[in-house]
Amino acid sequence: MATSTYLSGITTLTVNAVDVADQCTMLSVTELRETLDQTTLTNSSRRFRGGLYNNEITMTLLQSYVAGETFATIQPLVGVTTTVVATVTDGAVTKVITLANCYLESMPLINANLGELSTVDLTFVGGDLSIA
Amino acid sequence: MKYLIASARVGIVGDEYEPTPGVNIEALIAGGFITTEKESTETPKKSPTIKKTPKE
Repeated sequence: MATSTYLSGITTLTVNAVDVADQCTMLSVTELRETLDQTTLTNSSRRFRGGLYNNEITMTLLQSYVAGETFATIQPLVGVTTTVVATVTDGAVTKVITLANCYLESMPLINANLGELSTVDLTFVGGDLSIA
Repeated sequence: MKYLIASARVGIVGDEYEPTPGVNIEALIAGGFITTEKESTETPKKSPTIKKTPKE
């Protein structure tokens, strides 16, 4: 069975054209198409078809308030749309996943735990997903 | 308007930044990643003409 173990498979990660790969500790890209129920009285079991796409990217970044780092990159994006690009390499295969016009609803300004590195969990929703 | 890269996280610092569709320019400026360079609209001043005195 083929498996992917992420040692350093994400080669690039940009949010709004800014490289944040060296701040990222978790990345998840989900292609999601909403379910539409098209079951009729002639069916004896449910029938579904795809509706609108509602893709999602979640990531965890190490927090940094220094100029040119996480806070400066993400905070101006709250409430607006942007583009996230992730490149993953697995052996000889490279996939460039782009989520354009995705929306960032919120960002934790402070996420402090005693004795731990501060991180921010981000969720980008919507937008147009392309895989090249 | 011309944009210049101000952070290595975007590209080579000092190079011109070419906006790509979907990228929020205002956020890049607010974060200090790029700067604007307004193109000069002033017309270059003419160099002063020096009147030659007629030779006697």
